[in-house]
Amino acid sequence: MGNSHSKHFVVENRIEELSSLAEKIDVLANEWSLSPKITMNVNLAMEEALSNIIFYAFPDKNKHEIKILISLSKSKLTIQITDDGVPFNPLSHDSPDITLHAKERPVGGLGIFLISKIMDDMNYARRKNQNILTLNKNI
Amino acid sequence: MNIKKEKKGEFSILKIQGRVDTVHSTDLEIEVKKLFDSGETNVILNCGEMNYISSSGLRVFLVAEKRAIATNGKLHLCNMQPAIQEIFKISGFWNLFRIFDTEEEALNNS
Repeated sequence: MGNSHSKHFVVENRIEELSSLAEKIDVLANEWSLSPKITMNVNLAMEEALSNIIFYAFPDKNKHEIKILISLSKSKLTIQITDDGVPFNPLSHDSPDITLHAKERPVGGLGIFLISKIMDDMNYARRKNQNILTLNKNI
Repeated sequence: MNIKKEKKGEFSILKIQGRVDTVHSTDLEIEVKKLFDSGETNVILNCGEMNYISSSGLRVFLVAEKRAIATNGKLHLCNMQPAIQEIFKISGFWNLFRIFDTEEEALNNS
């Protein structure tokens, strides 16, 4: 396979869009021959990142577009998510304490933590009034 | 996502089919709440056909566990697919629940 591939998606800032995006990712995963495990990791990372953006980056409640670029090289898969919402850095949020018993565990705070566990690195940048979240997975 | 409801002995069983993601997790939350609200205290969540879960879904499972504890009841999970087991483990959720390989074991153990 030596070539690199990339694909763009655009989703509106509505949670309902996540289901149709997941279907498109499954089609892409098939085209790129990604393993079921990598496919699920991509779907999960995307859902967690996008749902955070959809819930928190657009207090104006207007329609916004979120741009997604997925790239694949021989050894790495990269997801770049760009939105024009308010400054929102998911990496600055705390990790949940996973040693707590069910009774004490707070119900929120899990999404970004999950991304950090399933992807190999995450970075955030704010450029030209846009949030740019980049997730990498070595494959 | 579909949820099939069944009663076996002292347990109410919800069989979850499909994706428990941000869009669909509320449906599961509603069904679990209905069970506990109606007086059921022993619940099995059969995850055999649950092929995806995200943090929203994990949250619903946690809320269910908290409800079971508050009710002095039981919440048993069973038939979890390996990929889903891994999500439970990396999120630190694996140790929060009573998880069984089969529905039979979930029914016969406390």
